[in-house]
Amino acid sequence: MLLSLQGIRKSFGGVQALSNGNLEVSEGEVHLLMGENGAGKSTLMKIVAGMYRRDAGEMLWRGQPVSFTRPAEAAANGVAMVHQESLLAPHLNIAENIFLGRETDSKIGWVRRGSLVEQARRVISELGFQLDPETMVAKLSPAGKQLVEICRAVALGSSLLIFDEPTSSLSETETKEVFRIVKELSRRGIGIIYITHRLEELRSVGDRVTVLRDGATVHTGPLEALSRDQLIQHMVGRSVNATYHREPLPPGEPLLEVKGVSRGFVRDISFVLRAGEIVGLGGLMGAGRTELCRVLFGLDPAEAGAVEVGGRSINPKNPRQAVAAGIALIPEDRQTAGLALKLSIAHNLTMPDLGRVSSMGILNKSAEMVLASDYRERLRIRCSSPRQLAGRLSGGNQQKIVIAKWVARGARVFLFDEPTRGIDVAAKQEVFEQMDRLARGGAAILMVSSELPELLQVADRVLVMREGRLSGELPRPMTQEDIMRLAAPLHSAAETVQ
Amino acid sequence: MQKSLAQRLQRLLPFVTLALLFVALTIATPHFLTAVNLASVARQTAVINIMALGMTLVIITGGIDLSVGSILAVSGLFGTMAIKAGQPIPLAIALGIGAGLVCGLLNGLMITMLRINPFIVTLGTLEAYRGVALVVSKGLPVHEIPERFSFLGDGNLLGIPFSLWVLAVCAVVMHFLLENTKLGRYSFAIGSNQNAAYYAGVPIKFHLTAVYAIAGLLSGLAGMVEASRLMTGQPTAGLGYELQAIAAVVIGGGSLQGGEGSVIGTLIGAFIIGLLSNGSDLLGINPYWQQVTIGAIIIAAVGFDEYRKRKFATA
Repeated sequence: MLLSLQGIRKSFGGVQALSNGNLEVSEGEVHLLMGENGAGKSTLMKIVAGMYRRDAGEMLWRGQPVSFTRPAEAAANGVAMVHQESLLAPHLNIAENIFLGRETDSKIGWVRRGSLVEQARRVISELGFQLDPETMVAKLSPAGKQLVEICRAVALGSSLLIFDEPTSSLSETETKEVFRIVKELSRRGIGIIYITHRLEELRSVGDRVTVLRDGATVHTGPLEALSRDQLIQHMVGRSVNATYHREPLPPGEPLLEVKGVSRGFVRDISFVLRAGEIVGLGGLMGAGRTELCRVLFGLDPAEAGAVEVGGRSINPKNPRQAVAAGIALIPEDRQTAGLALKLSIAHNLTMPDLGRVSSMGILNKSAEMVLASDYRERLRIRCSSPRQLAGRLSGGNQQKIVIAKWVARGARVFLFDEPTRGIDVAAKQEVFEQMDRLARGGAAILMVSSELPELLQVADRVLVMREGRLSGELPRPMTQEDIMRLAAPLHSAAETVQ
Repeated sequence: MQKSLAQRLQRLLPFVTLALLFVALTIATPHFLTAVNLASVARQTAVINIMALGMTLVIITGGIDLSVGSILAVSGLFGTMAIKAGQPIPLAIALGIGAGLVCGLLNGLMITMLRINPFIVTLGTLEAYRGVALVVSKGLPVHEIPERFSFLGDGNLLGIPFSLWVLAVCAVVMHFLLENTKLGRYSFAIGSNQNAAYYAGVPIKFHLTAVYAIAGLLSGLAGMVEASRLMTGQPTAGLGYELQAIAAVVIGGGSLQGGEGSVIGTLIGAFIIGLLSNGSDLLGINPYWQQVTIGAIIIAAVGFDEYRKRKFATA
């Protein structure tokens, strides 16, 4: 047994994050760690990696009781963590990042650049990646950064590798690459703990699974013995209909018309969104989907073509104009672009439309509270009060606030960029229901998603982008293969991860 | 429930510190709790306090204004020179405040239009505005101002220093502005997450420019109060005041990361600094040690605040 955790407890200022965390991993095993947001997965792993100290419980490393008090100590013992958000130094190159903290051979702190690069090159080629060790990390894609983190862990000679949702920001191809690496590492006898939300990818990587719920281990066992529904039931503590299916409406009048829009490598995009429609936008990472949303929302104005809302040409030059025309963007990254975490729920809700609760620049706070309470009910935001800080809510509830503020603004065209990223199964269903309700209320929705099954479940039709252009449109019933065929690059069969 | 009680107590810490300081000084020296002394403390702190109100707004947006001390000098000079030139006093005061407004507006425009970091812009104007003050005055102070002008900084109204009235009005207005206007709300939004505010269609440039203009205006007002208190326009007035203003905001719970800060907190912060320096004077403590104490308090206050946030942060 490589690692054994028994009855781990941890609380933060009165909030119990872990009450009974149990987990065992042996050499060469790929162990999945699952659970909803806030179930305590990351906390448990940070305790293993020496980032937090446990309050109680037993941790055995190769049979010996241990307590890692610092990340460096965990690393010295062979525990490494590949983080969801990259913890690399962007202004250093790949080689320097791989050996960060361990670069000196000589006592006086002299760094031998040449030998660093050489060693890095060796590690990279050993793992079969296509990375130049002298590339600046800032220039890498999220996928490239994760590869560097993996190299770093391997270069450390780690015997336990923790992946924190490694595929949440990766495309399908890149995800397959991560699976290949995970298998390769486990073949070498390295134990792997793999935190994930995504049910689809489980079978292809894992040996055993541990499920955490509300800070306690509720299930642990081999993966084959568990059905998808059972797994979900363990995670949420009740059964959830995970196969959401939407009944499309007859589409209404056209709300958003995009005519030959170009910007940068996004070229000549034309399509129409009608009231009541949910249209999926599929494609690989870097196909230009997010870029297109940015153009439609005025973040990067179009260089050519026209954007029309309700028959009026708007061609937004900034988000203000887009918002005024009734376009809403629910960005991929809620925390950096969607919400002000230090502000209350109410203040976030009214931010796009303060004019509605103010006159002559002076706020009517009671009207604001009434409005906030109203939308809190309508979107079923779980919170103690509209005065609660947005930063204190779970990912799913934060997502609801972002949606609610646009509903309150009276937006009719919704651009959802990866709406389910980083939220748990139950919350996903709610987001889908939310989208459905919006559509039924007469909104037009464009949903960007890299999760093909979700596109199939939710979208009435799917637009696919490839290399900056629309490569096709698929009506129902479509299949994952259809989408992949339109999404796959035309010329190069093998996608490079860099 | 226990947690929230502890939290509440900790939030009150600046206020408790101020109260303890007040009581301690009352016990320590009979010269403290006298009308004359308290009035003098009020007059001294009023200037920094008025500036600190503007600084609060700026810091809430996640910015900083290092030029307020120089703006104070520019305004004081313009105002006193106008008086010397025979302008009526109210008009001269308005001119001085107007000069501050223009300086602040320039700061704001450079920050939003040229997209330069506020620290850099105001570091530049900290030098430049001071230079303007020196050029305009040829380096010489303006003296022999009509006695009536002393009312603003040295007079009393209903037995209370007039500058304290000015401060009270500014504080009430600023509190209302922060809590009850779009400008205030947007300031918090921009400081908390500028991206989210931009995505929500908040006119960021307009509001940021307004914020720096208001900070400039309040520094201009502070400049007039200072000039009236000392009855002179000094090109070297207000040296280092920007740091005292920032200190007051920070001691009062403002965060340099933006999104946090309050008028009450800043007032308390400024009065803590004012009492410390007054107390040290009364107790005959070496003024050099005063600086050490104030520095230590700033670090302790911020350190404690960070500790509190870490402790009560939910993971």
